[in-house]
Amino acid sequence: MAKKIIAFACENSALKAVEALSDPAVLGAVELVRLPCSGKVEIGMVLKCLEEGYPGVLILACPIDNCKFTRGNRRARSRVESARQILRAAGLPEERVHIDFLSSVDSHKVAEIVRSMQQRLSVGAAGPAGIEIGKGAKA
Amino acid sequence: MITAVQKPFNEIHGMVRECRNLLVLGCGTCVTVCMAGGEKEVGILASTLRLANREQKISMKITEDTIERQCDREFFDAVRDKVEAADAVLSMACGVGVQFASEVFEGKRVFPALNTKFYGTNESVGIWSERCAGCGTCVLDKFGGVCPIARCSKSLLNGPCGGSQNGKCEVDQERIDCGWQLIYDRMKSLGLLHLLEANEPLKDWSTGRDGGPGKIVREDMVL
Amino acid sequence: MNTQLQTELKADSKLERILAAGHFAVTAELGPPKSADIEVIKTKAGHLTGKVDAVNITDNQTAIVRMSSIAAGALAMQMGLEPVIQITCRDRNRIAIQSDVLGAAALGLRNILCLTGDHQCFGNHGTTKNVYDMDSIQLINVLKCMRDDKKFACGDEIRNGKKEPIVEPRIYIGAAANPFGDPFEFRVIRLAKKVNAGVDFVQTQCIYDMERFEEWMRQVRERGLHEKVRILAGVTPLKSAGMARYMRDSVAGLSVPDYYIERMEKAEDKAAEGIKICVEQIERFRDIEGVAGVHIMAIEWEHRVAEIVERAGLLPRPEAA
Repeated sequence: MAKKIIAFACENSALKAVEALSDPAVLGAVELVRLPCSGKVEIGMVLKCLEEGYPGVLILACPIDNCKFTRGNRRARSRVESARQILRAAGLPEERVHIDFLSSVDSHKVAEIVRSMQQRLSVGAAGPAGIEIGKGAKA
Repeated sequence: MITAVQKPFNEIHGMVRECRNLLVLGCGTCVTVCMAGGEKEVGILASTLRLANREQKISMKITEDTIERQCDREFFDAVRDKVEAADAVLSMACGVGVQFASEVFEGKRVFPALNTKFYGTNESVGIWSERCAGCGTCVLDKFGGVCPIARCSKSLLNGPCGGSQNGKCEVDQERIDCGWQLIYDRMKSLGLLHLLEANEPLKDWSTGRDGGPGKIVREDMVL
Repeated sequence: MNTQLQTELKADSKLERILAAGHFAVTAELGPPKSADIEVIKTKAGHLTGKVDAVNITDNQTAIVRMSSIAAGALAMQMGLEPVIQITCRDRNRIAIQSDVLGAAALGLRNILCLTGDHQCFGNHGTTKNVYDMDSIQLINVLKCMRDDKKFACGDEIRNGKKEPIVEPRIYIGAAANPFGDPFEFRVIRLAKKVNAGVDFVQTQCIYDMERFEEWMRQVRERGLHEKVRILAGVTPLKSAGMARYMRDSVAGLSVPDYYIERMEKAEDKAAEGIKICVEQIERFRDIEGVAGVHIMAIEWEHRVAEIVERAGLLPRPEAA
């Protein structure tokens, strides 16, 4: 079965926002991984995901200056940027790695975040066709 | 430590694209500290190569490993089998390690993934700068611990030149401090400014690179 | 060690004789061509012959390749100029430099100015290896030892063989001096170092801030350096207000007082005003104790040098005795 977008979500914010969502289509569009802090993201791990066939890697972090561990989300942001630069330098689509910032009450943003990621990936023809969301269709 | 930076990806890929079985070999000492060729960087480069190969339909098996150092023979023993199984090695060590790996594994092609830069210090997180030129005749006692050979762009022994401005060097006013301003400030703070009035004579460059490739033989230590 | 200005001539160059006689000397600059074209030298020499005492022939200035200073100097000498050859430390090691000094002497070139040299990153061959085997102070000393000790830097005598005569190069040794760069205290110390190394004359960087220059000269006199080395004050005539502002804002250590910038901005004929300022400066230099002459750096404006010298009351130039 084709792999979905893998979403690494910080348990202090993004994960709560996603879990508060009731829309199964959105939840079904991603493979969710819990992080104690978005700062746990490593470039090597992100690239390994792409190697293993995930069409895209989405990091969901706390808004800047709201990190429980002070700088974790800043580290995540700069590592995502480094991963994108590495992809770019190797002639690969950098859209496959992306970071978004949201707090625990931002459930209403999640659908748009996931849909945007799918759009970016399908434009880059990076992986399997996007999973329809918001139309009641299932994976 | 010896500092180095990774070569651009395309240059690395160009070197190894004909290989069918490549070992990416990291080094756990200097290049790990300067974040260019350690275990983490090995993983990243190996993944990137695999992704690029897939994209360009190049069939290549890539293995990974990292040893303590590539400048001492004994550390290679742990990866002897992996090296022998591979067509070639992409070494993420400094120039010393790449060459030594080539010597230790005769007949095996060893490619350099890094551009070796200088002997330097880690000023702060993510920033390294040059301190020593390996001239072979250390004169740091005369200059308050600031080296005129390594830290002056012109290696002047009786500096500064006219290009010193606001404590910066004419070669790059944003990134390079004037070595002689540093010497002046240090000697002044040590109360030794008067020592700089003496003229430093011509340097014997033959104790460094200008004397040919260096070699140290410790008779008392040779087995 | 150079402790007193000698009455006995060291190189017997025209420049030396004029300074030794106590005249207020005038020197200028000539940049050799960026090709093998002799006509360029002819044209520039034409503007300067008879108007100045000696002319600096630059050595790959700002690391841009030009005809060599010695070659261009020899040609300029044929055209009637007294050259001051320049040697920088950037491109040549001690072997090449000492060799060049022997060649210069053999060609009859008697004045050599010792410079560190701009880093190659400024020029048109930024990827070259530089040399800097020595610095300007060591270079001065090497030349002094060649002339006075009659020995090369390695200690060998300057003779073609054990039974052949010593024929040392007789050179009048010059250097640059910078009253404005560096930490303030150190500027005068650097001049002292050059004096100790054996320099005979210095030319300063171009001056606009007369007050600061006079303060530097005061410190120079305090150490008695003005009696050990001939000091020529450098000037560069301003061509426009833009140039004045550029010099103030972009050139290392150079300060241009506001009153000069205002004068340039208000003037109708900018070039004329620039020359007027230059002439005023030269007149002021003549009153400063310890200033033995002026060095006019009219970059790509050589044809105006004669006018400056004349209006400063310095023509005709004295015949060297």
